[in-house]
Amino acid sequence: MKLETRHKIARFFQYFVLIAVGFIMIYPLLWMIGATFKSNAEIFSGIGFIPKNPTLEGYKLAVTQNYGGDINIWRAMLNTYSFVFPKVIFTVISSVIAAYGFSRFKFKGRDILFSIMISTLFLPQVVLNVPQYLMYNTFGWIDSPWYLPLWVPSLFATETYFVYQLVQFMRSIPHDLDEAAAIDGCGPVKTLYKIICPMLSPSLVACGLFQFMWSCNDFMGPLLYVSTPRKYPMSIFVKLSMDADNGFSWNRILALSLISIIPQLIVFFAAQDSFIDGIAAGSVKG
Amino acid sequence: MKKAIALALVGAMSVGLLAGCGGGSSSSAAASSAASTEAASEATSPAEPAGATVNTTDPITLTMSWWGGDSRHEAYQNALAAFSEKYPNITVEASYGAWSGWEDKKSAQLYSNSAEDVMQVNWNWLSQYSPDGSKFVDLNQYSDIIDLTQFSQASLDACTVAGELQAVPVSMTGRIFYWNTKTFEAAGVDYPKTLDDLMAAGKAFQEKLGDDYYPLALGEYDRMILMTFYLESVYGKPWVENGELQYTAEEVATGLDFIESLEDNHVIPSIPTMNGKGIDANNSIDKSQVWIDGTYAGIFEWDSSANKYQSALADNSGFVVGDEIKFGDKANGGFSKVSMGLAITETCQHPAEAAALINFLLNEEAGASIMGSECGIPNSAAGLSIAEAADKVKPLVKEANSKVMAFVDFPLDPTYESTDLKANPGGTYADVFGGLSYDEYDSTAEAAEDLVDGIEDALASAAQ
Repeated sequence: MKLETRHKIARFFQYFVLIAVGFIMIYPLLWMIGATFKSNAEIFSGIGFIPKNPTLEGYKLAVTQNYGGDINIWRAMLNTYSFVFPKVIFTVISSVIAAYGFSRFKFKGRDILFSIMISTLFLPQVVLNVPQYLMYNTFGWIDSPWYLPLWVPSLFATETYFVYQLVQFMRSIPHDLDEAAAIDGCGPVKTLYKIICPMLSPSLVACGLFQFMWSCNDFMGPLLYVSTPRKYPMSIFVKLSMDADNGFSWNRILALSLISIIPQLIVFFAAQDSFIDGIAAGSVKG
Repeated sequence: MKKAIALALVGAMSVGLLAGCGGGSSSSAAASSAASTEAASEATSPAEPAGATVNTTDPITLTMSWWGGDSRHEAYQNALAAFSEKYPNITVEASYGAWSGWEDKKSAQLYSNSAEDVMQVNWNWLSQYSPDGSKFVDLNQYSDIIDLTQFSQASLDACTVAGELQAVPVSMTGRIFYWNTKTFEAAGVDYPKTLDDLMAAGKAFQEKLGDDYYPLALGEYDRMILMTFYLESVYGKPWVENGELQYTAEEVATGLDFIESLEDNHVIPSIPTMNGKGIDANNSIDKSQVWIDGTYAGIFEWDSSANKYQSALADNSGFVVGDEIKFGDKANGGFSKVSMGLAITETCQHPAEAAALINFLLNEEAGASIMGSECGIPNSAAGLSIAEAADKVKPLVKEANSKVMAFVDFPLDPTYESTDLKANPGGTYADVFGGLSYDEYDSTAEAAEDLVDGIEDALASAAQ
């Protein structure tokens, strides 16, 4: 057998395996898209994703349902992004500042504070729900029209995971750069935003993306802190009609879910470029 | 300079951390004060009406919350609009959602005294969150506004905790059999009306249709309920009375033997078989292919779920509400409970007006005709006749409900549904019945010990 043929065969199997596994991975998503066009009876009756009798009923119901004018899909989306964007921005800013403090400065108790911070990484959100609820209640923030309990905490670098990730990333940035900046007249603050932040950008984009997705999908937070139906975000809106006792139209729920993830997909693909650019760019030449 | 900035930065961090910690200590303080402040003011006879009157002139805002699906949201919204027509000075602000997570939210609100004025409550919330009557208003005080005579005494007693009527029982619910007669026809038998029929159906299904076909499918919790049902009718005594389990481990073991015999006689599929068909704690039977196409031809479910199971079927022409089956000769047994109630929280500023709202929704023509059977078959006699006159009662649910209510002869203990027992996975019921079906026990006696232990623990912690 010629070498070239052997390569071709090897290449064929490589692609075959990749495509097969990739298909299995993406199948649930395809199924979901297909199911939005199915009738309710058909949804649970088979694993195929191509609808037998395609119907737009699910989409029609999804965009027209408005709960007596209280809330509809567009308002719910607007509500979601009205607290998700501040949350993402503040998380990134506060996490960078906290990480900068931990990775670049030596001060008394730094190691202890750092380990305390890391230990909160293992604290599940569930155990915080009730104490936080009581605290926000004393502040009078429950059902606040500005969603205060949902985004204000992110001003204080409460997302330990991102702080930790950024600290690790900053440690890999050579101190030589800081020193060079200092010689050129940069103070600590200027060093942060002129030197460190540009080099951190892939990591910052990753933080922003993760926080964006988690916040959009967060159900428990809005459930606890938003009580006025007019202010419900998407994650609550999608669930609003899911009543276990009476059953509900699955195709509408799936159509709703699909519409609700479109902005997330767009953001993700838009951010992907800078994500990869950031990784590819080298910081130290030579 | 550098140090100062660093300290400031870490200061900001620790504020974030302390936010969590500080909240933690305040929660336990609040919880303990809630428990200690109002150490049950036991009253033996119902409180006299306080003589409050409904304010019909000053502007008043009430808040109200409920959980449910689309049709219930719509019914409540329309009924609230009608209420505002009757009392133009009262505005009702509503908060609603689906059941999942709802209890988490409401419990947090109740603990922090920030719950809505009028709440749709689940029956076990009364004893769980307000065992001393500190969270909900005693509605006996407003019996001149809410017409309590429309409700059966038994259902009012079920909502009386710590001597206070903490909620009005909106509807009663219970468990009953539903059959897909199409499959029974194929097997050449009629749907079961007695225990012998049931056992015979198991055999007939296996012989005529094959090993995959079963006349009845029961999950872990369904098995527990059916077993209670069986034991009560065989031994003629309630499951729990005065906070004590009335059955010995030996007696419970006979109940477990009964469930085992159903499995052995091909009446019900084992839990592993059902899990293999995609039915588990998160996926109820109505979403499975085996129910949709009629391979599993029967269920033992809430009367209020009739329409859900009916509409899930590919061919639902054969769906019928079965009859309750009498297992023993001592009693009927059966299983019914208050499905949900409407309660007024202690933090409500306008309880008289809130009481008027409850009465409007449940007893008055304008309200009850809109609510129909959205919250279950109305428990209020007036409400039921209004809803029936308005043609707002689902006939299937009505049929199931009246069969259950005519049959049941024991009340249910609220601890029966406590989370420690009912949770799946992790609760005692799921552990014992799952374990039994997975052959993790050497004998039913051993399983019975576990079950009794778990229930006695739950009863003990409920008594505290």
